[in-house]
Amino acid sequence: MAHDWQPDFEQLVDEHQSMVFSLALRMTGDRGLAEEIAQDVFLELDRYLGKIESADHARFWLRRVAMNRSADALRRRRVRCLDLWVEMEDHHGIRVEERASPLAIRLEQLLATLPEPQRAALVLRYQEDLTPEEIAATLQSPLATVKSHLQRGLKLLRAKAQCHLKEYIRVKEQASGA
Amino acid sequence: MEEFEEELRQAFERRPAPPSLKRRLMERRRTPRPRSYTVVWQRLAACLVLAAFMGSAAVWHQREECRKGEAAREQVLIALRITGHALNHMNQQLAARGRVRK
Repeated sequence: MAHDWQPDFEQLVDEHQSMVFSLALRMTGDRGLAEEIAQDVFLELDRYLGKIESADHARFWLRRVAMNRSADALRRRRVRCLDLWVEMEDHHGIRVEERASPLAIRLEQLLATLPEPQRAALVLRYQEDLTPEEIAATLQSPLATVKSHLQRGLKLLRAKAQCHLKEYIRVKEQASGA
Repeated sequence: MEEFEEELRQAFERRPAPPSLKRRLMERRRTPRPRSYTVVWQRLAACLVLAAFMGSAAVWHQREECRKGEAAREQVLIALRITGHALNHMNQQLAARGRVRK
């Protein structure tokens, strides 16, 4: 099938590196691993470039492959996400995000404690702003399953946030009081 | 819940990729992939394993045929030996009866 769109690899990297890196980072919780996954995803794109038909196709393809590679990496390393966030700060010397609020950082940490399918659905929903139908297409899962993961994930994350953030606010208030 | 979802949208904004990502990616893209050699070696090893398997299967088949042949030969020899004994026995009996008649 002929298509007029002429993809430029470097331009695609510039445009989508933040998306691919963020997806991998939020799925794995490991900055080094996320960078490695992002590189692998783009190298695979380079090999697959001839079959990409449009900018939307490229974006969809990158999201799907980034999620698949992240899931593969998690399966291989059998990581425990909560530990990884500790590892991240200890070993990678990461500035979790200079511009991120403490609340955002804590929410990301709590996200890492959710089961992988729920985490994937939530990341695609709230980072990429995808609809449940688009998430189902990206993850190649039934729509009902995706909706269930979204609902349960959101509920669980909210419950965890209510519990942990109350504690966070209390400690903060005590610190400012002292 | 909507307020919480809004919090999530803000918290889950895309993170900027490390500045080194593109540079490293371009370096990896330029360098020839050693993986292709790995694939060649893997294929070669698979061919060798397959050849060894087929070779040993052929040898085993040949040996099995020889063993079956030897067993058949042994059985034929035993049968001939039994037949020889029976004939000798018959001859002896015939000779004994001949002597009695005389």
